[in-house]
Amino acid sequence: MSFTWKGALQELQDRRSRARELGGARRIARAHEQGRYTIRERIERSTTSFTEIGELACYEDVDATGQSLDTLPSSYVCGLAEFAGRTVALGGEDFTVRGGAPTSYLGRMKGGLGGFVEDLAHEYRIPLVMFLEGIGGDVAAQAEKGYAYLASSVSMQRPIELLSQVPVLGMISGAAVGATAGRAVLTHFSVMTKDSVLFAGGPPLVRRALGIDVDKHELGGGALHTGVSGAIDNLAEDEDDAIRQMQTVLSYLPQNVWEMPPRGERSDPVDRRAEELLDIIPEERRRPYRVDKMIRAVVDNDSFFQVGPKWGRSLVTGFARMDGIPVGVIANNPGVLGGAIDAKAAEKQIRFVDTCSTFHLPIVYFVDVPGFMVGPDAERSSTIRWGMRAVQSLAEAEVPVVTVQVRKAFGMAVNATSNPDRLGLRLAWPSGEWGDLPVEGGVEAGFRREIEAAEDPVAYRRLVEERMLGLSDPFKTAEHFGVEQMIDPRETREVVCRFLEASLHRVRTSLGPSQRQWRPRP
Amino acid sequence: MSSCVITADTPATVWKVLAGEGDTVSDGDTLMILEAMKMEIPVEAEQDGVVARILVAEGDLVEMDQRLVELV
Repeated sequence: MSFTWKGALQELQDRRSRARELGGARRIARAHEQGRYTIRERIERSTTSFTEIGELACYEDVDATGQSLDTLPSSYVCGLAEFAGRTVALGGEDFTVRGGAPTSYLGRMKGGLGGFVEDLAHEYRIPLVMFLEGIGGDVAAQAEKGYAYLASSVSMQRPIELLSQVPVLGMISGAAVGATAGRAVLTHFSVMTKDSVLFAGGPPLVRRALGIDVDKHELGGGALHTGVSGAIDNLAEDEDDAIRQMQTVLSYLPQNVWEMPPRGERSDPVDRRAEELLDIIPEERRRPYRVDKMIRAVVDNDSFFQVGPKWGRSLVTGFARMDGIPVGVIANNPGVLGGAIDAKAAEKQIRFVDTCSTFHLPIVYFVDVPGFMVGPDAERSSTIRWGMRAVQSLAEAEVPVVTVQVRKAFGMAVNATSNPDRLGLRLAWPSGEWGDLPVEGGVEAGFRREIEAAEDPVAYRRLVEERMLGLSDPFKTAEHFGVEQMIDPRETREVVCRFLEASLHRVRTSLGPSQRQWRPRP
Repeated sequence: MSSCVITADTPATVWKVLAGEGDTVSDGDTLMILEAMKMEIPVEAEQDGVVARILVAEGDLVEMDQRLVELV
């Protein structure tokens, strides 16, 4: 038949309509029954405009013998979108088509690890937003290719280099398994709904490999990955909550590492005194306090968003704004492990510091750390190696760091809170206490022989302790300029804001990829 | 009112149990105090209610997320 505009445009229209039907009404209904949106509903709900790419790409559904059953739209939907007022590359698996399997059956991958949507983010230097729901690779892919292929033939360069170029955000609703789980963790921020699961291999595979029966939520549910493993940063109540969380995180980040992080509203006065801090921090040093309340008192109103609130909980990390300037906030949490840095807390700090450094967000660090975690569990999890990696991440951070000494600062862990090779600006509250070791216990360890040899060991120990306590007066350190400035906690906001404002000259003239991106660590 | 179980935020030792089974408590009341890394960590009621069960005793070692108190 000869070409006519009418006929061709009708065909285009028909094919586009067909793409909207996804994997069919039955599979869509199943997703809805399980409380999930389809990929197209996710896109509709989260964007104000969406220009699709690869709309007509198809998947030929065949049975086990190779007999064609149906032609379905391809299992990935992607395009250019307006998301939270920002231009982004956006895509996600369509679980109603072959469980959201990788689009390796197409002439060009649409997205997933290295496909069109990743290329779009890379080439245009715009953030990548992903809706992750897929089973990863499957045996059927082998049948399509006609031979068993080595996964190592597939380049991983693109998804990895994106991490040092543009914000990469992902949310999981449903199941993310194998390659899709891998894609989910190659992100700067990840969130999963509480009903979702993520694993390298699901329960059937675990049963085969290890002979154990395990419930899928116990194996890789939202509570596990955001509360124990830390493979995913945040938990969401539902998909709308997950979308909101990604939109919030993006609001602190620039379009790419060559541009400035977007300054927000400057409506909270810089000189607002945080009177409540004197109530939040108890005078009784053995009492912990609500770290989030302390942070909220200092940063711009309603600007604090916690990243990883449920894992590595002896350390709090999150984004905030100060006089509109996006910053990364880190604080030790004395309510968990006394604030000691264990392996998980160190991992959390490393991940967060690297993200801040990559996107040029200054870091504000509230210090109250009794040291690296000690004990059999801590040694087994190699706390010392993870801890020193945290030290390295801060030493390598190419952003201004303002350190606030809240209370304790003991041991090597303190090296992970400021960088003396750069400005090393430390603001101390008069509640600060620091040293190599806390006096209690430290005296016992350091002067054991002398104490044992004394006529009255108890009295002698007390004498030494008193002398050491006298030396640990924070005002004495300030006299020797061993801490840069002693401030009233209530003026913290103003002092930090003034320094952050000044630091922007440095930030503006240091844009671009980090000099020391993702270097090997011990 | 729904029941609620309060769990430990940190591995710790149970230092002092302040509430007793059957006590009427208000949101924010301190029910017990844990001790970890020389810090006294208050365990507070997360809603108004009656203490149905206290699941640990003074001196017990508790793990992160271990159940401590049941309120109804």
